[in-house]
This record gives sequence, structure tokens and C-alpha cells, in this order.
Amino acid sequence: MGGSTNLPPGFHFFPSDEELVIHFLRRKAALLPCRPDIVPTLPQNRYDPWELNGKALQAGNQWYFFSQATQSRTSRNGYWNPIGADEAVTSGGSHVGLKKTLVFSIGEPFQATKTNWVMHEYHLLDENGGTSTSGSSRKRSHKKKGHPDKECSNWVVCRVFESNYDSQVSFHQEDMELSCLDEVFLSLDDYDEVSLPKN
Amino acid sequence: MSISVNGQSCVPPGFRFHPTEEELLNYYLRKKVASEEIDLDVIRDIDLNKLEPWDIQEKCKIGSGPQNDWYFFSHKDKKYPTGTRTNRATAAGFWKATGRDKAIYNAVKRIGMRKTLVFYKGRAPHGQKSDWIMHEYRLDDLPTIVTDAAPTATMAVSAATSSDSGQEDGWVVCRVFKKKHHHKDAGAGSGKRGGGGRDDGGKTARSSSPLYSSDDALDQILHYMGRSCKQEHELSSPRPRTAASRYLRPLETVLGGHGFMKLPPLESPSAAATARSSTTTPLAASGDGNVERELAHAEDMLHEPHRDSGITDWAMMDRLVASHLNGQHDASTDQLCFDGTHAGSNDVVDDTAVNGVAFYSAAATRLLGGAAAGSGDDDLWSFARSAASSERLSRVSP
Repeated sequence: MGGSTNLPPGFHFFPSDEELVIHFLRRKAALLPCRPDIVPTLPQNRYDPWELNGKALQAGNQWYFFSQATQSRTSRNGYWNPIGADEAVTSGGSHVGLKKTLVFSIGEPFQATKTNWVMHEYHLLDENGGTSTSGSSRKRSHKKKGHPDKECSNWVVCRVFESNYDSQVSFHQEDMELSCLDEVFLSLDDYDEVSLPKN
Repeated sequence: MSISVNGQSCVPPGFRFHPTEEELLNYYLRKKVASEEIDLDVIRDIDLNKLEPWDIQEKCKIGSGPQNDWYFFSHKDKKYPTGTRTNRATAAGFWKATGRDKAIYNAVKRIGMRKTLVFYKGRAPHGQKSDWIMHEYRLDDLPTIVTDAAPTATMAVSAATSSDSGQEDGWVVCRVFKKKHHHKDAGAGSGKRGGGGRDDGGKTARSSSPLYSSDDALDQILHYMGRSCKQEHELSSPRPRTAASRYLRPLETVLGGHGFMKLPPLESPSAAATARSSTTTPLAASGDGNVERELAHAEDMLHEPHRDSGITDWAMMDRLVASHLNGQHDASTDQLCFDGTHAGSNDVVDDTAVNGVAFYSAAATRLLGGAAAGSGDDDLWSFARSAASSERLSRVSP
């Protein structure tokens, strides 16, 4: 798991929105090598979400990949439909990206069946506040040398998961919870404290 | 890829350190004990006595991302040169062990033990409980004869006690985190953890509820009773997904749905005597003769396990606790939590309420836990009797 990294046990790829935009998407758009270079680039519309296994980077029950943003998000058996409002991704107080949430539906529009497959699609925001796909990217004046070619600046990075698996918590979160028994013992301690004047 | 920058090891962006218990024990702690080099040295050595829990976040930061749990190695000091107890006091408070140590298994055998500790501010008898929790893992270096034997529940318990005495010295690896308040964030929306689980009609709430999905003991109980969580859920009537029902569902389904143990009817919160004896659970109630009656009653129930389920009593209790958790704190609720004396100045309302709930469930859980660990009904009730007659009674009586 975690791609071709040689990290010791216990490390998992579980990036925050900010990390995805700053460390991966920004570098991809600037044609800088991503470090670690673990997120593959896929043609966005070629695959249905269940086909991502083995093609995208799998981390827990989430899949990550780069893609070029397109207007239509139709794949072989269905399409991605945006839901909700776009979220801003911030870093150090300034907006650096945009996070769109999409749901996969099987079939043709208007007679499609919604699925549990969810995609978070991250876009770069340029300094004028527009998305870099809007064409103003040519004028970007990044500290990192932004490539002037528009082709390279409409990259998105995507996270795909099935929502019914509580996917945002992909790693044995239960270790970090107190079990029911722990809670019980914890509360029993109080009663010990009350009645026992501590040996 | 490289995991070192300018000669300094670092965590590449996007990665979180969240090892399994097996990884902690078998990789990190084993290497630490053997003084072997660890590839990426992210777990620091900490002198537990010199570090307050709120400073751990800064000290034990790994990588750049947000973190909910922190890890460190600690070398346990004995409290007294001659004894086996460990000194876990800091300048501001102390770590106090709670519950029973849990055995950690890999696929093959037992590999170590986990102790759960809670941080109290202040000094020993008067400490104020905090939300800081520590899981302290130690390696299991028992003779292979023991570990190779079939790891039954009873074995684990006896082995736990034997290793308790011997292993109070040396390196341990610790995970520190802040306790989550489920009754507070249950209705608070998706947040980070929700992840879209709210739309599927409670399915996620049930399957992901850490209160019992992760709890071996409760799994054992359910297994013992020959039912799965799913069946239990379908049996119980649909109810609002309030915080309280979330808290109570496991026990309610285990007990109420099964008619395994019946509590006396609960008319109203103001029926103080009734409320008290049932809240504190039969076995913990003190010497007003209730214990014997309750036990006899419970034994009846055991011999006739298919009598009335008594679910109404529990539903009543459920409602009571629900109103309690919703913050309607008045004089009568004090009677719910034992005798009210412990609800001293440093207990906030929430804690009081939760303690009430937890305590009422405590003896029941212990009972059933005993049942799961033992082999049959006899064990259950001998456990219950000994618990009632010796330990609890003597502690509880004022």
C-alpha cells in the first residue's frame, strides 16, 4: 500500500486537501516532479470508478489520480455529476484551490441510477481567484515557474471512494477510540475515587 | 523515492503515521528493545514524567499534516525500587491506569499487552480526570509454551495478570489521543469523519459506531448469545438516532432484546429508591438487601430465559437518559448518578450524565463480559456473586 514508497510500516497515504493541492497538484501543473511520485495520471473519462483499482493509487479504500479537467465527465457506463457547492482549499490563509464533489451515476442522464461512488476533484486557483482552467493561467506569476502552456495547467487531482464505507476514515480508527468496556471502566474509576480514600 | 532530505529523515507529504497495534509492537518496539535502527525514526523517546499531555502534540509531531494521535517511546521507571509499580506522575498531574490490560494478537499468537491510562490533573486522591488517553504497549515475552497454547479468553486473562507483575520495567511504546465525546458530535453533522455516511439511513451509524463495532468483548458477548449485531438491530424497533440511543443501543439490544436480565420497572425519575437501585445496577447497589433480591431475581431470569423481555423498562431508561443527556439537569437527575455525592465541583454536567449511563451499564457489561470469558452460566453467576459480595459492595458503601 502507499505506492512504490519504501516507508517503514505504519505510514499511509492520507493527504489533506491542502497537501493535495500544494504538494501534488501545484507541482504537477508546474511540470515539477512530484515527490514522492506516486500519483499516476489517468485519462479522466476512460474508467468507471470500480475500474480504478490497479490503475490509480490506492490508499486504504480511496483511489488517487491526476487527470486533465474536462467539461463532460462521462465514462463508459455512466457519468460524474457535481453535487453541493465547491469548497475552497486554503493554505496559510489564502485560497489555493477548489474542491468539487461529484457523485457517479450509471446510465444516461435523466434515467440514471445514483451510486455510492464519490469523487473529490481538486482544481488550482490562480492568484486572481479564478480557476486555472479559466484561461487566465497564462498570466500566472508563481514563485515556482508556472509553465505558460495552458495544456499543463488544467490538471486536477482526484480522490475517489465509495461513501458507504465511511471512507474518510480509512485506517483502523477504532484503535483511537475507547471501547465500550474502556468507557465503563473509566467511569468505574470515579466511584473508586469517591469511596476509597486511596490506599 | 527518497525519505531523507539534506540528511534528515522526514515524512513525505501526504503521508500519515498511523500504525496498527501489530506494527507498533512487532516492528517499532521490538527494534527499540533490540537497539536496532528504525528506518525512519519518527517515534521519539520521551520522559513521561517530564512531559504534560498537552505538550506532546508539539514534541511528537510527525510530518506536516494534521494529527489526532501521537506516539513516543518511554522507559518505565519503577515507583519504588523494591516494588513493581510504575511512576507516571508529571508536574501537573498523573497517568492512571484504567480497566484491564488487553492482549494484542497477530495472526499467529499473542505479541503484547495494551494498558489504557487516563490523565488526571492534580495529585492522586483528588485528581481531575481529563480527556487525554494513553495506550501503553509492551511486548509479551512470555515463554512460548504459554503463547503457543490455544488463546482462549480465560488464558488471556490469566496470562495478563502474570505478565503484569513481571513487565513493569523497560521500554514501552505509547499512543496518546484525546477522547472523543460521542454524545456531543453525534448530531453535529458530517465533519471529517462523517464522510457522507449520513445519507444511508443509519446503516453507517450502526456499522461504524466505535462503541461496539470495535469492541472485542461485546463481539464476544454477541457471539456468546448466538446473534449478530445485524439481527439485533432488526429486532429492536426503529428509534430516533439521538445521542442517547446511540449510547444505549448496544446494551439495550444485548440485554433488553434478549430478556437476559430484567431490571425492576422504572416508574419515574423521582422514584428515587427504584431509580437508584436500577441505575447503579443490582450488583453494585449497597447493603439495603437489594442485592440478594436482585440476584435471586436475576437467577430466576436465567432459568427462564424466555420470559418477558422487559424491554419497556429499558426503553423507559433510554428516554430517561436521553433527557438527561440533552442537558435537562435538575435535582432529580442527581439521584440517577449514584448518590450524587461524587458529582462534586469538578464534574461538569455532561460527565455526570455520562457517568450515570456508563455506570448503569457497567455492572451489566461486567456480568456479560464475565459470561463471555467464562464457559457457562455457572461462571457467570459465580462471577456476579463474587463481584457483588466482595469487591463492589465494600467499595461502594459509604
